[in-house]
Amino acid sequence: MFLALKEIRHEKLRYGLIIGMILLISYLVYVLSGLAYGLAQQNTQAIDSWQAQSVALDKDANVSLSQSLITADTADKMTLKRSQAYLGQAGVVAKASQRPNLSAQFLGLQPQQFISRNLTLTAGHKARNDRQIVADTAFQQQGYKLGDRVTLNSVDGKYTIVGFTKNAKLSVAPVVYGTLGAWRTLRGVTPAFKASAVVSQRAHQAVPSPLKTYSTQTFINKLPGYSAQNTTFTFMIGFLMIIAVVVIAVFLYILTMQKLPNYAVLRAQGIPSKFLVSTTLSQAFILVVGGLVLGALLTVATMRILPLGVPISFNLPLLAGVTGGILLTGILGALIPVKLILKVDPVTVIGG
Amino acid sequence: MPALALQHVNKFFGQGTSRVQVLNDVNFATQPGELSLVLGPSGSGKSTFLTIAGGIQTPTDGRVTVDGQALASMAAKDRDKLRLHQIGFILQAHNLVPYLTVRDQFALVDRVKPQGNLSPVALHQLLDELGIAPIVDQYPGNLSGGQSQRVAIARALYQDPAIILADEPTAALDSDRVKVVGRILQQLAQDHHKAVVVVTHDLRLREFADHVYQLMDGQLTLEA
Repeated sequence: MFLALKEIRHEKLRYGLIIGMILLISYLVYVLSGLAYGLAQQNTQAIDSWQAQSVALDKDANVSLSQSLITADTADKMTLKRSQAYLGQAGVVAKASQRPNLSAQFLGLQPQQFISRNLTLTAGHKARNDRQIVADTAFQQQGYKLGDRVTLNSVDGKYTIVGFTKNAKLSVAPVVYGTLGAWRTLRGVTPAFKASAVVSQRAHQAVPSPLKTYSTQTFINKLPGYSAQNTTFTFMIGFLMIIAVVVIAVFLYILTMQKLPNYAVLRAQGIPSKFLVSTTLSQAFILVVGGLVLGALLTVATMRILPLGVPISFNLPLLAGVTGGILLTGILGALIPVKLILKVDPVTVIGG
Repeated sequence: MPALALQHVNKFFGQGTSRVQVLNDVNFATQPGELSLVLGPSGSGKSTFLTIAGGIQTPTDGRVTVDGQALASMAAKDRDKLRLHQIGFILQAHNLVPYLTVRDQFALVDRVKPQGNLSPVALHQLLDELGIAPIVDQYPGNLSGGQSQRVAIARALYQDPAIILADEPTAALDSDRVKVVGRILQQLAQDHHKAVVVVTHDLRLREFADHVYQLMDGQLTLEA
């Protein structure tokens, strides 16, 4: 650490540039991770808030909520427990006077079932009839207020916003909770259909044919675009990690090459290779940690100025994982010049 | 027991027709308290002699002992330790770590060898004698060739080694400084009971030596 710190302090510009490179890479990784996590959250926020373990859908619906319909006949064959709830889904566009149009996911619930029961409101009350709705706070951010009368999908009649709830997004769209009766109207189906799905807080639920139970994770993975989006971000972050390894390895390799005559003298004087190797590794550690800290600060600053609509979000395990990943790849990069140090021949500096 | 001894040492480089003998049946021994000067022109094998004596290279055949210990029987790690604790190298080029001040060059030694180095008072005396006390906060890049060489000498002596191996220690010095360095090396041998071996082609050091050797075409001979 002694030699590492002394060298960094003496060669401020050189090491400042390396830290700058790591800063930019870590900044990009942090922002991409935040966006990936934020978008993933906006896909699943509503599902997460239900704390559901499984979802039963029509087996021919290709694990798609929007394609699934449960008939009343099928529903009659089931007696739902406290841990189960009907859910009806319909994509809607909300319109109101002097408010922007908003695309949303309408979710019809049956009062007293667990999703409705556990719904936490930030304002107002739950829907008490087919013309009342509870909207995600994204509506509030767009200027909607309690009591606003909203048209959904040009269906006749207006719906009144009677409550707001936070963290209610599905497939990156704000959720509008209402009744199953309203869902039938919006979906254009008769009372012969009960709902789109049966959601359960248990991993296993016995359901009659033609329903099939899927784990919540399987259900989430099949949300439109969810897996593709996550895979894209994972690849981008992975490639950035690889770039971090290459950048650190190349810089340290070049710097080590330049220092080989000094290292040869030190080896001749009996300074153990271990000391020189630990100097290089601790130098890499300092550079990466410096870059990460500055990258994290820049990310925090960026988050403060980003518009509310940008879906960026962080949590501790994610940050720790990303930070640990870059740190690990940085140290891996530093192992490449270590080979040079181990091979340094002190004979080369004794000549004449 | 000699502090350092080379017995029937041969060193070959290359293979087949390009095989070259650099040291030819070299015998050498130095006791604590002696300053030995090995004189020879470029290409005579001086550097090979020094690297083999310091355990940096191994001879093709023959035996090298430091304080009675055969270097051939030591692991590389133990030879590193031996160099750190018992041998001080004064080298010609790249002697100093460029990003350490003169003061930090000594601090670096403390890091790898915390004990057995010169006391702060003794170090200060040595720096005074070498005329480098006023430049302890300078980086090597700001020093002249002569100053760098004197710092390198001080750095090697700071480890307080039993054996000092010097490769052209006066190459960049004027005659006055050569005398200072010569006297320091002489004092180290006589007053501090160290075995000092200097390989050089600088004849100005001859007057300080107890023994003068000539190395010519790999053969070492003691001057009468």
